[in-house]
Amino acid sequence: MKLVKKGAEADIYVTTWNGQNSILKIRKKKDYRVNSLDIRIRTLRTIREAKMIYEVKSFGISTPIVYFVDEKKCEIYLQFIKGKLVRDLPMKQIVKICTDIGKIVGTLHKNGIMHGDLTTSNFILSQRGLVILDFGLSQKTDAIDDYAIDLRLFKEVLNSAHAQIVVGAWASFIQGYQSILGNTLTERIVNQVLVIEKRGRYANVV
Amino acid sequence: MLGLGIESTAHTFSCAIVEKKGKQGKILSDVRKIYRPPEGEGIHPREASRHHAEHSSEVLSECLRKSNVKIDDLDIISYAAGPGLGPCLRIGAVVARSLSSYYDIPIYPVNHALGHIELGKMLTGAKDPLVLLVSGGHTMILAFLSKKWRVFGETLDITVGQLLDQIGRHAGFASPCGPKIEELASKSIEYLPLPYVVKGNDVSFSGLLSATKRIIPKGIESACFSLQETAFSMMGEATERALAFTGKKELLVVGGVAANKRLSNILSSICARHHCKFFVAPKEYAGDCGSQISWIGLLESSKKPGVNLENTFVKQSWRLDTVEVLY
Repeated sequence: MKLVKKGAEADIYVTTWNGQNSILKIRKKKDYRVNSLDIRIRTLRTIREAKMIYEVKSFGISTPIVYFVDEKKCEIYLQFIKGKLVRDLPMKQIVKICTDIGKIVGTLHKNGIMHGDLTTSNFILSQRGLVILDFGLSQKTDAIDDYAIDLRLFKEVLNSAHAQIVVGAWASFIQGYQSILGNTLTERIVNQVLVIEKRGRYANVV
Repeated sequence: MLGLGIESTAHTFSCAIVEKKGKQGKILSDVRKIYRPPEGEGIHPREASRHHAEHSSEVLSECLRKSNVKIDDLDIISYAAGPGLGPCLRIGAVVARSLSSYYDIPIYPVNHALGHIELGKMLTGAKDPLVLLVSGGHTMILAFLSKKWRVFGETLDITVGQLLDQIGRHAGFASPCGPKIEELASKSIEYLPLPYVVKGNDVSFSGLLSATKRIIPKGIESACFSLQETAFSMMGEATERALAFTGKKELLVVGGVAANKRLSNILSSICARHHCKFFVAPKEYAGDCGSQISWIGLLESSKKPGVNLENTFVKQSWRLDTVEVLY
Protein backbone atom coordinates (compact mmCIF):
# COMPACT_ATOMS: atom_id res chain seq x y z
CA MET A 1 0.00 0.00 0.00
CA LYS A 2 1.56 3.26 -1.14
CA LEU A 3 0.57 6.76 -0.04
CA VAL A 4 0.05 8.85 -3.16
CA LYS A 5 -1.54 11.97 -1.79
CA LYS A 6 -2.07 13.54 1.59
CA GLY A 7 -5.19 15.48 0.86
CA ALA A 8 -6.90 17.90 3.16
CA GLU A 9 -9.71 15.55 3.96
CA ALA A 10 -8.33 12.12 3.32
CA ASP A 11 -5.16 10.20 2.66
CA ILE A 12 -5.08 8.47 -0.70
CA TYR A 13 -3.29 5.13 -1.12
CA VAL A 14 -2.75 2.88 -4.12
CA THR A 15 -3.53 -0.72 -3.29
CA THR A 16 -5.46 -3.67 -4.71
CA TRP A 17 -8.98 -4.91 -4.19
CA ASN A 18 -9.69 -8.47 -5.24
CA GLY A 19 -6.86 -8.35 -7.72
CA GLN A 20 -7.87 -4.99 -9.20
CA ASN A 21 -5.72 -1.90 -8.94
CA SER A 22 -7.49 0.26 -6.45
CA ILE A 23 -7.43 3.57 -4.62
CA LEU A 24 -8.00 3.49 -0.88
CA LYS A 25 -9.34 6.72 0.49
CA ILE A 26 -9.13 7.02 4.27
CA ARG A 27 -10.69 9.91 6.10
CA LYS A 28 -8.34 9.91 9.05
CA LYS A 29 -9.20 11.24 12.46
CA LYS A 30 -8.27 14.88 12.80
CA ASP A 31 -6.76 15.57 16.17
CA TYR A 32 -7.63 19.22 16.06
CA ARG A 33 -11.36 18.56 15.85
CA VAL A 34 -13.52 17.71 18.84
CA ASN A 35 -14.10 13.96 18.67
CA SER A 36 -17.88 13.95 18.28
CA LEU A 37 -17.74 16.62 15.57
CA ASP A 38 -14.91 14.79 13.83
CA ILE A 39 -16.73 11.45 13.75
CA ARG A 40 -19.93 13.12 12.54
CA ILE A 41 -18.16 14.81 9.63
CA ARG A 42 -16.06 11.85 8.53
CA THR A 43 -18.85 9.30 8.68
CA LEU A 44 -21.33 11.56 6.94
CA ARG A 45 -18.96 12.33 4.11
CA THR A 46 -17.83 8.75 3.61
CA ILE A 47 -21.36 7.44 3.32
CA ARG A 48 -22.46 10.36 1.22
CA GLU A 49 -19.60 9.94 -1.20
CA ALA A 50 -20.39 6.28 -1.81
CA LYS A 51 -24.09 6.96 -2.26
CA MET A 52 -23.53 9.85 -4.62
CA ILE A 53 -21.09 7.96 -6.81
CA TYR A 54 -23.70 5.24 -7.22
CA GLU A 55 -26.34 7.84 -8.03
CA VAL A 56 -24.36 9.87 -10.58
CA LYS A 57 -23.28 6.68 -12.35
CA SER A 58 -26.96 6.14 -13.12
CA PHE A 59 -26.99 9.13 -15.42
CA GLY A 60 -23.70 8.45 -17.06
CA ILE A 61 -21.16 10.54 -15.14
CA SER A 62 -17.67 9.15 -15.46
CA THR A 63 -16.29 8.65 -11.95
CA PRO A 64 -14.42 5.82 -10.20
CA ILE A 65 -16.51 2.78 -9.23
CA VAL A 66 -16.87 2.05 -5.51
CA TYR A 67 -15.51 -1.40 -4.60
CA PHE A 68 -16.07 -1.31 -0.86
CA VAL A 69 -17.08 1.04 1.95
CA ASP A 70 -16.18 0.71 5.62
CA GLU A 71 -18.15 3.44 7.32
CA LYS A 72 -16.76 2.57 10.76
CA LYS A 73 -13.19 3.21 9.66
CA CYS A 74 -14.26 5.88 7.14
CA GLU A 75 -12.59 4.03 4.29
CA ILE A 76 -13.58 3.69 0.66
CA TYR A 77 -11.97 1.44 -1.95
CA LEU A 78 -12.31 3.01 -5.38
CA GLN A 79 -11.40 2.08 -8.92
CA PHE A 80 -7.90 3.23 -9.90
CA ILE A 81 -7.92 5.74 -12.77
CA LYS A 82 -4.73 6.37 -14.69
CA GLY A 83 -4.28 9.89 -15.96
CA LYS A 84 -3.28 13.42 -15.15
CA LEU A 85 -4.93 15.98 -12.90
CA VAL A 86 -6.41 18.83 -14.91
CA ARG A 87 -4.64 21.26 -12.57
CA ASP A 88 -1.25 20.04 -13.83
CA LEU A 89 -2.02 20.19 -17.56
CA PRO A 90 -0.55 22.93 -19.80
CA MET A 91 -2.58 26.15 -19.70
CA LYS A 92 -3.89 25.91 -23.25
CA GLN A 93 -5.20 22.43 -22.62
CA ILE A 94 -6.92 23.50 -19.40
CA VAL A 95 -8.82 26.20 -21.28
CA LYS A 96 -10.00 23.64 -23.83
CA ILE A 97 -10.91 20.99 -21.30
CA CYS A 98 -13.03 23.45 -19.29
CA THR A 99 -15.77 22.87 -21.87
CA ASP A 100 -15.88 19.20 -20.86
CA ILE A 101 -15.81 20.16 -17.19
CA GLY A 102 -18.76 22.44 -17.92
CA LYS A 103 -20.63 19.54 -19.52
CA ILE A 104 -20.07 17.25 -16.55
CA VAL A 105 -21.12 19.91 -14.04
CA GLY A 106 -24.13 20.77 -16.21
CA THR A 107 -25.18 17.12 -16.20
CA LEU A 108 -24.86 16.91 -12.41
CA HIS A 109 -26.95 20.03 -11.91
CA LYS A 110 -29.52 18.91 -14.44
CA ASN A 111 -30.00 15.83 -12.27
CA GLY A 112 -30.26 17.77 -9.02
CA ILE A 113 -26.78 17.26 -7.58
CA MET A 114 -24.23 19.82 -6.54
CA HIS A 115 -20.64 18.65 -6.27
CA GLY A 116 -19.48 21.01 -3.54
CA ASP A 117 -15.75 20.92 -4.29
CA LEU A 118 -15.19 21.79 -7.93
CA THR A 119 -11.47 22.34 -8.23
CA THR A 120 -9.13 21.52 -11.10
CA SER A 121 -7.52 18.85 -8.96
CA ASN A 122 -10.80 16.95 -8.77
CA PHE A 123 -10.77 16.14 -12.47
CA ILE A 124 -8.50 13.53 -14.08
CA LEU A 125 -7.86 13.38 -17.79
CA SER A 126 -7.61 9.67 -18.56
CA GLN A 127 -7.34 7.75 -21.80
CA ARG A 128 -11.08 7.23 -21.75
CA GLY A 129 -11.85 10.91 -21.28
CA LEU A 130 -12.44 13.26 -18.39
CA VAL A 131 -13.24 11.75 -14.98
CA ILE A 132 -14.66 13.62 -11.98
CA LEU A 133 -13.62 12.78 -8.40
CA ASP A 134 -14.49 13.41 -4.79
CA PHE A 135 -18.17 13.56 -3.94
CA GLY A 136 -17.56 14.00 -0.21
CA LEU A 137 -19.09 17.47 -0.12
CA SER A 138 -21.82 16.81 -2.68
CA GLN A 139 -25.49 17.30 -1.99
CA LYS A 140 -28.87 16.60 -3.52
CA THR A 141 -30.55 19.89 -4.14
CA ASP A 142 -32.85 21.74 -6.49
CA ALA A 143 -31.90 25.23 -5.31
CA ILE A 144 -30.46 27.54 -7.97
CA ASP A 145 -28.31 29.06 -5.21
CA ASP A 146 -26.54 25.72 -4.61
CA TYR A 147 -25.71 25.27 -8.29
CA ALA A 148 -24.40 28.84 -8.32
CA ILE A 149 -22.18 28.08 -5.31
CA ASP A 150 -20.62 25.26 -7.35
CA LEU A 151 -19.93 27.65 -10.21
CA ARG A 152 -18.61 30.34 -7.92
CA LEU A 153 -16.13 27.96 -6.35
CA PHE A 154 -14.87 26.87 -9.74
CA LYS A 155 -14.55 30.51 -10.78
CA GLU A 156 -12.63 31.23 -7.57
CA VAL A 157 -10.24 28.38 -8.34
CA LEU A 158 -9.64 29.69 -11.87
CA ASN A 159 -9.20 33.20 -10.50
CA SER A 160 -6.60 32.14 -7.98
CA ALA A 161 -4.72 29.10 -9.23
CA HIS A 162 -5.10 29.76 -12.95
CA ALA A 163 -5.16 33.55 -12.98
CA GLN A 164 -3.41 33.82 -16.35
CA ILE A 165 -6.15 31.97 -18.22
CA VAL A 166 -9.22 32.73 -16.14
CA VAL A 167 -11.16 34.61 -18.82
CA GLY A 168 -10.77 31.98 -21.51
CA ALA A 169 -11.22 29.06 -19.15
CA TRP A 170 -14.40 30.49 -17.63
CA ALA A 171 -15.90 31.20 -21.08
CA SER A 172 -15.04 27.68 -22.15
CA PHE A 173 -16.62 26.24 -18.98
CA ILE A 174 -19.82 28.21 -19.50
CA GLN A 175 -20.00 27.06 -23.11
CA GLY A 176 -20.01 23.43 -22.04
CA TYR A 177 -22.38 24.07 -19.14
CA GLN A 178 -24.83 25.89 -21.39
CA SER A 179 -24.82 23.06 -23.93
CA ILE A 180 -26.36 20.82 -21.25
CA LEU A 181 -28.61 23.18 -19.31
CA GLY A 182 -29.75 25.53 -22.08
CA ASN A 183 -29.60 29.32 -22.27
CA THR A 184 -32.36 30.33 -19.86
CA LEU A 185 -31.29 28.20 -16.92
CA THR A 186 -27.61 28.94 -17.45
CA GLU A 187 -28.31 32.65 -17.45
CA ARG A 188 -30.29 32.38 -14.22
CA ILE A 189 -27.54 30.43 -12.49
CA VAL A 190 -24.73 32.69 -13.72
CA ASN A 191 -26.70 35.72 -12.48
CA GLN A 192 -27.02 34.00 -9.12
CA VAL A 193 -23.22 33.65 -9.06
CA LEU A 194 -23.03 37.45 -9.19
CA VAL A 195 -25.55 37.69 -6.36
CA ILE A 196 -23.38 35.38 -4.22
CA GLU A 197 -20.27 37.37 -5.05
CA LYS A 198 -22.05 40.53 -3.94
CA ARG A 199 -22.80 38.89 -0.59
CA GLY A 200 -19.03 38.57 -0.10
CA ARG A 201 -16.94 41.03 1.82
CA TYR A 202 -16.21 44.35 0.12
CA ALA A 203 -17.47 42.93 -3.13
CA ASN A 204 -17.63 45.34 -6.00
CA VAL A 205 -19.26 43.30 -8.70
CA VAL A 206 -20.48 45.19 -11.71
CA MET B 1 13.85 55.75 4.83
CA LEU B 2 11.25 56.90 7.35
CA GLY B 3 7.51 56.47 6.91
CA LEU B 4 4.54 57.53 8.99
CA GLY B 5 1.49 55.27 8.77
CA ILE B 6 -2.02 56.23 9.86
CA GLU B 7 -4.61 53.56 10.56
CA SER B 8 -8.28 54.38 11.16
CA THR B 9 -10.36 51.74 9.38
CA ALA B 10 -12.53 50.67 12.33
CA HIS B 11 -12.17 50.91 16.12
CA THR B 12 -8.43 51.68 16.20
CA PHE B 13 -6.78 55.01 15.55
CA SER B 14 -3.07 54.46 15.29
CA CYS B 15 0.06 56.24 14.10
CA ALA B 16 3.37 54.47 13.61
CA ILE B 17 6.80 55.30 12.33
CA VAL B 18 8.73 52.58 10.55
CA GLU B 19 12.26 52.76 9.21
CA LYS B 20 13.13 50.82 6.06
CA LYS B 21 16.71 49.88 5.23
CA GLY B 22 17.00 47.78 2.10
CA LYS B 23 14.43 45.02 2.63
CA GLN B 24 14.51 45.28 6.41
CA GLY B 25 11.94 47.19 8.40
CA LYS B 26 12.14 48.43 11.97
CA ILE B 27 9.17 49.76 13.93
CA LEU B 28 10.32 52.88 15.82
CA SER B 29 6.97 53.60 17.44
CA ASP B 30 3.37 52.42 17.18
CA VAL B 31 0.80 54.30 19.25
CA ARG B 32 -2.91 53.37 19.40
CA LYS B 33 -6.16 54.57 20.85
CA ILE B 34 -9.06 52.15 20.64
CA TYR B 35 -12.71 53.18 20.60
CA ARG B 36 -14.73 51.05 23.02
CA PRO B 37 -18.48 50.93 22.50
CA PRO B 38 -20.71 50.37 25.55
CA GLU B 39 -21.15 46.72 26.63
CA GLY B 40 -23.49 44.77 24.39
CA GLU B 41 -23.16 47.25 21.52
CA GLY B 42 -21.09 47.30 18.35
CA ILE B 43 -19.10 50.03 16.65
CA HIS B 44 -21.14 53.11 15.86
CA PRO B 45 -19.31 54.61 12.87
CA ARG B 46 -20.09 58.20 13.83
CA GLU B 47 -19.05 57.72 17.45
CA ALA B 48 -15.89 55.88 16.41
CA SER B 49 -14.92 58.63 13.99
CA ARG B 50 -15.52 61.25 16.68
CA HIS B 51 -13.24 59.26 18.98
CA HIS B 52 -10.56 59.17 16.26
CA ALA B 53 -10.84 62.90 15.57
CA GLU B 54 -10.57 63.74 19.26
CA HIS B 55 -7.50 61.59 19.81
CA SER B 56 -5.67 62.07 16.52
CA SER B 57 -3.32 64.87 17.57
CA GLU B 58 -2.44 63.20 20.86
CA VAL B 59 -1.67 59.87 19.15
CA LEU B 60 0.40 61.57 16.46
CA SER B 61 2.43 63.63 18.97
CA GLU B 62 3.12 60.62 21.12
CA CYS B 63 4.15 58.57 18.11
CA LEU B 64 6.66 61.25 17.06
CA ARG B 65 7.95 61.67 20.59
CA LYS B 66 8.47 57.96 21.20
CA SER B 67 10.34 57.48 17.95
CA ASN B 68 12.39 60.65 18.34
CA VAL B 69 11.50 61.67 14.80
CA LYS B 70 10.46 65.14 13.61
CA ILE B 71 7.80 65.52 10.98
CA ASP B 72 10.37 67.13 8.69
CA ASP B 73 12.45 63.94 8.81
CA LEU B 74 9.64 61.85 7.34
CA ASP B 75 10.15 60.66 3.76
CA ILE B 76 6.59 59.51 3.17
CA ILE B 77 3.15 59.42 4.80
CA SER B 78 0.69 56.61 4.20
CA TYR B 79 -2.87 56.16 5.36
CA ALA B 80 -5.37 53.31 5.25
CA ALA B 81 -7.68 54.20 2.36
CA GLY B 82 -9.87 51.11 2.78
CA PRO B 83 -11.58 48.80 3.26
CA GLY B 84 -13.32 50.06 6.37
CA LEU B 85 -15.95 52.36 7.81
CA GLY B 86 -16.29 55.57 5.77
CA PRO B 87 -16.44 58.11 8.62
CA CYS B 88 -13.44 56.48 10.34
CA LEU B 89 -11.37 56.21 7.16
CA ARG B 90 -11.93 59.91 6.44
CA ILE B 91 -10.35 60.98 9.75
CA GLY B 92 -7.10 59.17 8.96
CA ALA B 93 -7.15 60.53 5.42
CA VAL B 94 -7.66 64.11 6.63
CA VAL B 95 -4.72 63.85 9.04
CA ALA B 96 -2.50 62.37 6.33
CA ARG B 97 -3.53 64.96 3.76
CA SER B 98 -2.97 67.89 6.14
CA LEU B 99 0.52 66.72 7.05
CA SER B 100 1.39 65.92 3.45
CA SER B 101 0.32 69.29 2.06
CA TYR B 102 1.67 71.44 4.90
CA TYR B 103 5.07 69.75 5.09
CA ASP B 104 5.22 68.76 1.43
CA ILE B 105 5.74 65.04 2.05
CA PRO B 106 4.69 62.40 -0.55
CA ILE B 107 1.43 60.64 0.38
CA TYR B 108 0.36 57.00 -0.24
CA PRO B 109 -3.19 55.64 0.12
CA VAL B 110 -2.80 51.96 0.99
CA ASN B 111 -4.95 48.87 1.39
CA HIS B 112 -5.46 47.92 5.02
CA ALA B 113 -5.70 44.16 4.42
CA LEU B 114 -2.51 44.11 2.39
CA GLY B 115 -0.89 45.80 5.40
CA HIS B 116 -1.80 42.86 7.65
CA ILE B 117 -0.14 40.44 5.25
CA GLU B 118 3.04 42.34 4.43
CA LEU B 119 3.70 43.37 8.04
CA GLY B 120 3.13 39.75 9.07
CA LYS B 121 5.66 38.62 6.47
CA MET B 122 8.18 41.24 7.55
CA LEU B 123 7.91 40.39 11.24
CA THR B 124 7.90 36.59 10.91
CA GLY B 125 10.25 36.16 7.95
CA ALA B 126 7.75 34.09 5.94
CA LYS B 127 8.74 34.11 2.25
CA ASP B 128 6.03 32.60 0.09
CA PRO B 129 3.22 31.69 2.46
CA LEU B 130 -0.38 30.72 2.15
CA VAL B 131 -2.03 33.44 4.24
CA LEU B 132 -5.04 33.14 6.50
CA LEU B 133 -6.35 36.63 7.20
CA VAL B 134 -8.79 36.56 10.10
CA SER B 135 -10.26 39.71 11.62
CA GLY B 136 -13.45 41.68 12.04
CA GLY B 137 -13.30 42.69 8.40
CA HIS B 138 -11.84 39.62 6.74
CA THR B 139 -11.84 35.86 6.67
CA MET B 140 -9.76 34.97 3.64
CA ILE B 141 -7.24 32.41 2.48
CA LEU B 142 -4.75 33.93 0.06
CA ALA B 143 -1.64 33.18 -1.92
CA PHE B 144 0.49 35.38 -4.12
CA LEU B 145 0.48 34.70 -7.87
CA SER B 146 1.50 36.96 -10.75
CA LYS B 147 1.35 40.40 -9.15
CA LYS B 148 -1.70 39.92 -6.95
CA TRP B 149 -2.81 38.22 -3.77
CA ARG B 150 -5.34 35.68 -5.02
CA VAL B 151 -8.26 34.48 -2.93
CA PHE B 152 -8.30 30.69 -2.58
CA GLY B 153 -11.10 30.69 -0.07
CA GLU B 154 -13.13 33.10 1.99
CA THR B 155 -16.29 33.52 3.99
CA LEU B 156 -19.48 33.60 1.98
CA ASP B 157 -21.20 35.88 4.48
CA ILE B 158 -19.93 37.28 7.80
CA THR B 159 -16.33 37.14 9.02
CA VAL B 160 -15.07 35.14 11.98
CA GLY B 161 -14.47 38.39 13.88
CA GLN B 162 -18.06 39.44 13.34
CA LEU B 163 -19.24 35.99 14.39
CA LEU B 164 -17.37 36.19 17.72
CA ASP B 165 -18.37 39.83 18.28
CA GLN B 166 -22.04 39.26 17.55
CA ILE B 167 -22.22 36.29 19.89
CA GLY B 168 -20.34 38.24 22.53
CA ARG B 169 -22.60 41.26 22.22
CA HIS B 170 -25.66 39.01 22.33
CA ALA B 171 -24.32 37.73 25.67
CA GLY B 172 -23.72 41.31 26.83
CA PHE B 173 -19.92 41.56 26.57
CA ALA B 174 -17.92 44.58 25.44
CA SER B 175 -16.54 44.52 21.88
CA PRO B 176 -14.19 43.27 20.67
CA CYS B 177 -15.38 40.04 22.28
CA GLY B 178 -12.79 37.51 21.01
CA PRO B 179 -10.62 37.43 24.16
CA LYS B 180 -13.65 37.05 26.46
CA ILE B 181 -15.02 34.19 24.37
CA GLU B 182 -11.61 32.50 24.34
CA GLU B 183 -11.42 32.77 28.11
CA LEU B 184 -14.90 31.31 28.66
CA ALA B 185 -14.29 28.55 26.10
CA SER B 186 -11.18 27.43 27.96
CA LYS B 187 -13.38 26.56 30.96
CA SER B 188 -15.47 23.96 29.15
CA ILE B 189 -14.98 20.73 27.23
CA GLU B 190 -18.65 20.04 26.59
CA TYR B 191 -19.32 20.10 22.86
CA LEU B 192 -22.87 20.87 21.75
CA PRO B 193 -23.53 20.09 18.06
CA LEU B 194 -23.53 23.15 15.80
CA PRO B 195 -23.79 23.53 12.01
CA TYR B 196 -20.48 23.00 10.24
CA VAL B 197 -20.50 24.57 6.78
CA VAL B 198 -17.51 24.18 4.48
CA LYS B 199 -18.12 24.67 0.77
CA GLY B 200 -14.94 23.79 -1.07
CA ASN B 201 -12.37 26.22 0.28
CA ASP B 202 -15.09 28.59 1.47
CA VAL B 203 -16.90 28.80 4.78
CA SER B 204 -20.22 30.25 5.87
CA PHE B 205 -20.85 31.43 9.42
CA SER B 206 -24.37 32.86 9.36
CA GLY B 207 -26.10 29.60 10.32
CA LEU B 208 -23.55 29.00 13.05
CA LEU B 209 -24.28 32.46 14.45
CA SER B 210 -28.03 31.80 14.81
CA ALA B 211 -27.52 28.31 16.18
CA THR B 212 -25.00 29.46 18.79
CA LYS B 213 -27.38 32.15 20.02
CA ARG B 214 -29.92 29.38 20.62
CA ILE B 215 -27.58 27.27 22.77
CA ILE B 216 -26.34 30.13 25.00
CA PRO B 217 -29.11 29.40 27.57
CA LYS B 218 -27.62 25.91 28.02
CA GLY B 219 -24.47 27.50 29.45
CA ILE B 220 -22.31 30.30 28.14
CA GLU B 221 -19.06 28.40 28.65
CA SER B 222 -20.05 25.34 26.63
CA ALA B 223 -21.61 27.64 24.01
CA CYS B 224 -18.34 29.54 23.63
CA PHE B 225 -16.38 26.29 23.54
CA SER B 226 -18.65 24.74 20.90
CA LEU B 227 -18.62 27.96 18.86
CA GLN B 228 -14.83 28.19 18.81
CA GLU B 229 -14.37 24.51 18.06
CA THR B 230 -16.83 24.58 15.17
CA ALA B 231 -15.76 27.86 13.61
CA PHE B 232 -12.03 27.20 13.93
CA SER B 233 -12.34 23.61 12.68
CA MET B 234 -14.16 24.96 9.62
CA MET B 235 -11.39 27.45 8.96
CA GLY B 236 -8.82 24.75 9.67
CA GLU B 237 -10.38 22.48 7.09
CA ALA B 238 -10.68 25.23 4.47
CA THR B 239 -7.05 26.17 5.09
CA GLU B 240 -5.96 22.57 4.89
CA ARG B 241 -7.75 22.21 1.57
CA ALA B 242 -6.02 25.29 0.22
CA LEU B 243 -2.65 24.03 1.50
CA ALA B 244 -3.13 20.67 -0.18
CA PHE B 245 -4.27 22.34 -3.39
CA THR B 246 -1.53 24.98 -3.64
CA GLY B 247 1.26 22.85 -2.18
CA LYS B 248 2.64 25.88 -0.29
CA LYS B 249 5.24 25.10 2.35
CA GLU B 250 4.46 28.02 4.68
CA LEU B 251 1.31 29.20 6.43
CA LEU B 252 1.02 32.69 7.89
CA VAL B 253 -1.88 33.79 10.09
CA VAL B 254 -2.57 37.51 10.46
CA GLY B 255 -5.40 39.76 11.67
CA GLY B 256 -7.00 40.33 15.06
CA VAL B 257 -8.26 36.75 15.49
CA ALA B 258 -4.68 35.47 14.93
CA ALA B 259 -4.15 36.28 18.61
CA ASN B 260 -6.46 33.39 19.56
CA LYS B 261 -4.41 30.50 20.96
CA ARG B 262 -6.89 27.75 20.12
CA LEU B 263 -6.89 28.80 16.47
CA SER B 264 -3.08 28.76 16.41
CA ASN B 265 -3.14 25.28 17.95
CA ILE B 266 -5.41 23.94 15.26
CA LEU B 267 -3.42 25.52 12.45
CA SER B 268 -0.05 24.42 13.75
CA SER B 269 -1.28 20.83 13.99
CA ILE B 270 -2.41 21.06 10.36
CA CYS B 271 0.98 22.42 9.36
CA ALA B 272 2.74 19.57 11.12
CA ARG B 273 0.67 17.07 9.11
CA HIS B 274 1.58 18.75 5.84
CA HIS B 275 5.24 19.40 6.73
CA CYS B 276 4.71 23.06 6.42
CA LYS B 277 6.19 25.94 8.42
CA PHE B 278 3.77 27.81 10.63
CA PHE B 279 4.00 31.54 11.25
CA VAL B 280 1.69 33.68 13.30
CA ALA B 281 1.93 37.46 13.51
CA PRO B 282 3.14 38.62 16.96
CA LYS B 283 0.13 39.37 19.17
CA GLU B 284 1.01 43.04 19.44
CA TYR B 285 0.95 43.51 15.67
CA ALA B 286 -1.69 40.95 14.68
CA GLY B 287 -4.54 43.42 15.05
CA ASP B 288 -5.02 46.83 13.43
CA CYS B 289 -2.01 49.12 13.80
CA GLY B 290 -0.23 52.01 12.10
CA SER B 291 2.85 49.89 11.37
CA GLN B 292 1.04 47.79 8.77
CA ILE B 293 0.03 50.96 6.92
CA SER B 294 3.44 52.56 7.17
CA TRP B 295 5.15 49.40 5.92
CA ILE B 296 3.02 49.16 2.75
CA GLY B 297 3.73 52.83 2.00
CA LEU B 298 7.44 52.19 2.34
CA LEU B 299 7.27 49.13 0.09
CA GLU B 300 5.26 51.00 -2.54
CA SER B 301 7.57 54.02 -2.43
CA SER B 302 10.38 51.85 -3.81
CA LYS B 303 8.39 51.40 -7.03
CA LYS B 304 6.22 54.47 -7.49
CA PRO B 305 5.90 58.13 -6.43
CA GLY B 306 3.20 59.33 -4.04
CA VAL B 307 -0.21 60.32 -5.40
CA ASN B 308 -1.56 63.84 -5.98
CA LEU B 309 -3.69 65.24 -3.19
CA GLU B 310 -6.81 65.26 -5.38
CA ASN B 311 -6.50 61.46 -5.63
CA THR B 312 -6.33 60.78 -1.91
CA PHE B 313 -9.81 59.33 -1.59
CA VAL B 314 -11.02 56.64 0.75
CA LYS B 315 -12.59 53.44 -0.58
CA GLN B 316 -14.90 51.69 1.89
CA SER B 317 -15.11 48.59 -0.27
CA TRP B 318 -11.67 47.87 -1.59
CA ARG B 319 -11.00 44.21 -2.10
CA LEU B 320 -7.47 43.02 -1.53
CA ASP B 321 -7.44 40.92 -4.69
CA THR B 322 -7.83 44.02 -6.87
CA VAL B 323 -4.57 45.59 -5.66
CA GLU B 324 -1.61 45.22 -7.99
CA VAL B 325 1.59 44.55 -6.05
CA LEU B 326 4.70 45.87 -7.78
CA TYR B 327 7.42 45.42 -5.15
